[in-house]
Amino acid sequence: MKEVKLFHGPNHPGMHGNFSVHLTVDGDTVKKAKPNPGMLHRGFEKLMERRLWLNNIALIPRVCVPEPDLNEAVYSMAVEKIQNLEIPERAKYIRVLMMELARISVHMMSIGGIGGPTGVYTAPNWALADRDLILDIFEKITGHRVYHMYIVPGGVRQDIDEKTFRFIENTIRDIEKRLKDYKEIIFESPIIHKRLKGTAPLTKEQALNWGVTGPGLRSTGEKYDVRKQFPYFVYDKLDFDIPVADKSDAFTRLYLKYLEVKQSIKIIKQVINKIPKGKVRLKLTGTALKWKIKKGEAYGKVESSRGEFGYYVVSDGGRSPYRVQVRGASYPQGLYGIEAGLPETRLEDVAIWLDTMGVCAPEIDR
Amino acid sequence: MNQNEIIKKIENEFNIDKKDIKKIDSKQFKAFIKNSQIIDFLTYLKNIGFWQLSLITAVDWVDDNKFEIVYNLVSWELEQNILVKTDISRKNPKITSVINIWPAAKYYEWDVNEYFGIDFIGNPNNGKELFLENWDGPPPMRKDFDPLKYSKNKFPEKDYKNFKMKKQSEVIE
Repeated sequence: MKEVKLFHGPNHPGMHGNFSVHLTVDGDTVKKAKPNPGMLHRGFEKLMERRLWLNNIALIPRVCVPEPDLNEAVYSMAVEKIQNLEIPERAKYIRVLMMELARISVHMMSIGGIGGPTGVYTAPNWALADRDLILDIFEKITGHRVYHMYIVPGGVRQDIDEKTFRFIENTIRDIEKRLKDYKEIIFESPIIHKRLKGTAPLTKEQALNWGVTGPGLRSTGEKYDVRKQFPYFVYDKLDFDIPVADKSDAFTRLYLKYLEVKQSIKIIKQVINKIPKGKVRLKLTGTALKWKIKKGEAYGKVESSRGEFGYYVVSDGGRSPYRVQVRGASYPQGLYGIEAGLPETRLEDVAIWLDTMGVCAPEIDR
Repeated sequence: MNQNEIIKKIENEFNIDKKDIKKIDSKQFKAFIKNSQIIDFLTYLKNIGFWQLSLITAVDWVDDNKFEIVYNLVSWELEQNILVKTDISRKNPKITSVINIWPAAKYYEWDVNEYFGIDFIGNPNNGKELFLENWDGPPPMRKDFDPLKYSKNKFPEKDYKNFKMKKQSEVIE
């Protein structure tokens, strides 16, 4: 049969963000795949070199749109490492709280989002409604719904009062009650079972060779999580499990995300009970707009919903960073993974592959 | 094995000067190596447990007239991060590719090649475009590239002679 070249995305219902894949198909089988990033390239790394250390906080949440808090946290972490600064205990707990709330909101979006490529259209509506409740919490804490600009080098911008903690607790309990509904509508639905089981398999060798981390790796049985191996903030004082599966396909990857939501809820409850009293922000050096960070470099990394997410920050002792490199969590699976993993899958499974592997276009392009 | 033991092991087994290895924090340290030894050193690190390649990137030290290539390796078992750094000259920048050690390095190197104009000998994608479609300027992440000047040349300012603001009453109609 004759091979045909197809553009999958950027305008495709199964595509997340401005990203496209060039496919060469023979009938329904993909023979060759080439990622085509660059449509969302905004030159963040260059822009950061021209802005002050604090100004960058307003810029970097845009690097990854669905999960913006990570960027602030990881940038602040790298700056604190260069400056040798230990932030207050309460600020660490608040950062953990923010990151886990962000994890729930982005997992909700991807669990429900699977309804798009498979045709279970009730699921995305429910999931987005629950995600909105998390955004309400963010609004209460920071004043913003999507981009928060809340975590800064030295701590967090402002304290959370007791009333807000009760609000968070209630909302989380509310979402926890509804989690079993998701199990019924998504994970016990015959459509999902038929479409996802055995679709888009990933072997352990592939995952390790490509450098995939996060739920994609854990679904192959490798129990690696930055929160456990390289504990940051206060994750070593909290009790939580890392869900793993033994065989990786689209269904197990999605189910792991569902289990991770439960773990995040567990972490948030502990944070609310354990959080100590005290200051939430330390002075870094002098006035915020005149910060001069020591000469040096550091790599800060956290576990995002898609894997290891890191910033490599270099300072030459000046008022703005000398160089910042973003290590997007979906870089390995979004570029090399597409080239090596998509051939020999079927055309209709491409959207499911991209959806469950967690390919986030903005952090690939930067 | 804690960090000091690992550093000592690398120093002894690979003959690196003590001042070339520095701690960053309890889980992270950096090592500086000559660019002729880079492949040997990375292979050695992969064999002792630093087998995950997390990032390849470059820093442009324009005042010292050099590029610094940074390899970020992670060991999950030893729970350590290492930043391996090497210098190459800014004139005619070239370095050997590591795609034979890590196949996924292809795209990291392609990225650096596109943004800094550094050639990775052995990588098939040198000079091809990935992120920057139809780019005709110099490599944009270099420090001597001025984005403002480039955009003023590329998109010259136009005079709109016949342009007239509408009156408010016209807009409402």
